[in-house]
Amino acid sequence: MLETTENRNVEIMLDNVGMTYDAADGKKVQALTSVTMDIHKGEFISLLGPSGCGKTTLLRIIADLLQPTSGKVLIGGETPREARLKRRYGMVFQSATLYDWRTVIKNIELPLEITHESKSERRERAIKMLDLVGLSEFANHYPRQLSGGMQQRVGIARALVLQPEILLMDEPFSALDEFTREKLHIDLLKIWRKTNKTIIFVTHNISESVFLSDKVCVLSPHPGRLSAVIDIDLPRPRSMEIRDTPEFTALVSKVRNSFEGV
Amino acid sequence: MKLVRKITNSKLFFTFIWIAALIIVWEIFAYQVEQTKRTPENVLPHLSGVVDSITSDKKINGSQTAFQMVMENAGATLSRAAIGYVIGIALGFILALIMSLSGIVEKVVFPYLMLIQIIPILGMAPIINAITKDIAVSRIVIAAILTFYPVAANTLAGFKAVRRESHELMYSYSASKFQLYTKMMIPSCIPYFFTGLKISAPMAITASILVDTLQGGLGLGCLLSQSLKGAMTRYVFWDIVFFSAIIGILSFYFIGIIEKLLCPYKKLEQKGR
Repeated sequence: MLETTENRNVEIMLDNVGMTYDAADGKKVQALTSVTMDIHKGEFISLLGPSGCGKTTLLRIIADLLQPTSGKVLIGGETPREARLKRRYGMVFQSATLYDWRTVIKNIELPLEITHESKSERRERAIKMLDLVGLSEFANHYPRQLSGGMQQRVGIARALVLQPEILLMDEPFSALDEFTREKLHIDLLKIWRKTNKTIIFVTHNISESVFLSDKVCVLSPHPGRLSAVIDIDLPRPRSMEIRDTPEFTALVSKVRNSFEGV
Repeated sequence: MKLVRKITNSKLFFTFIWIAALIIVWEIFAYQVEQTKRTPENVLPHLSGVVDSITSDKKINGSQTAFQMVMENAGATLSRAAIGYVIGIALGFILALIMSLSGIVEKVVFPYLMLIQIIPILGMAPIINAITKDIAVSRIVIAAILTFYPVAANTLAGFKAVRRESHELMYSYSASKFQLYTKMMIPSCIPYFFTGLKISAPMAITASILVDTLQGGLGLGCLLSQSLKGAMTRYVFWDIVFFSAIIGILSFYFIGIIEKLLCPYKKLEQKGR
């Protein structure tokens, strides 16, 4: 294969990835059929689709939480398992999944405890991350004292503290109210610009995916499949107002019209 | 109006109502008993009689007042209960941990645990006494056995209640099994563990008193049966009933206080999303 610039920048390569479950009645259920796609370094990709389209399945395959039944996944040339063992990705879940018994700062330090960093190193890096998500003054609060949006920001800080190249986000804002969500969109884009991570963002919200992403990967259900990849060529940095432009509206309709069989 | 609401919202208010109701009901029945029986204290004495017997200076066995006797015997029973309780907690927790680590162990062991709970203590006591050949040791063992099941069952429930995402988070960081348990599983099951402790604390005390009655020696249960057999005034029996009820309730709250100290996050209100 020719080593083009394009190729070298591929961070995640999905080659004919498929996932088949055995249902209770003995039938095979196709959760995902042959997804092939390249994700480049520093890209913001959304996996968009209704429930049952396999978007979370695909994310979980990349995260090594599921083994695909066919096809191949390479993350920086390595298998998902190798990538996980080297902590090359950070994960953000739908619920913030903070540990109640730890203060905010201790929650962010958790991954560093697992990798056996020294106490001072842990504190220093956690403070930096807390700064990045704008929650410095809440370091010693417990998660229960924070609002849902703040909890999710702590979750992002925790995912970034090991400085992974990739951030995997599984519907992170879907449980938040509209106001908080729009605020977090702006925050997330700022964090992304500062840190240059590759972000894979699972969502079922069309406008969210258009607002955030470089590319929206549209997945359709029954069977789960990649039905379109739509480039979002809106200028960056993006502000809230961009949602009111005709270009934004046009992209939203384009994405909406690319679904099949919903 | 505001003051009324403040009072009805307070915990103390309900405790007061609860105690008052208990006293009224008790006294109504005690009055009824008094009308029909010649020795009402054998069935249900007035509360004033019980209070009198506690505060009285009268030596009932030549050297001790009723209160001194109850206290001395309570020391013996409660220390056995406490030792058994601690052993039971340790065993219960370790067993829950092993069952959580291995599904096979859980399937094999759990039915036996339930079986131990079904056997009545008084049936179990002679067997354990035959094995340990020492009544003091068997009393401790029985307190441990009764403590151990609620702790094991609740702690195991705590391990199982851990959300999938919490597991996946640790998995995504490639945490070792040891880290998984020390950093996540064990801290997250602590509230469940304490539920087990709160249930079993009064049980350990009650069981110790019950097992005391099997043989003589120092102990609330021994004193209790002597009093019931008429070897001393029946009021000693009522003193013990009140004393153990109070200790049982206090043990529950005592564990609650320890839990609050260990888990300061628990009392925090969940903020609106």
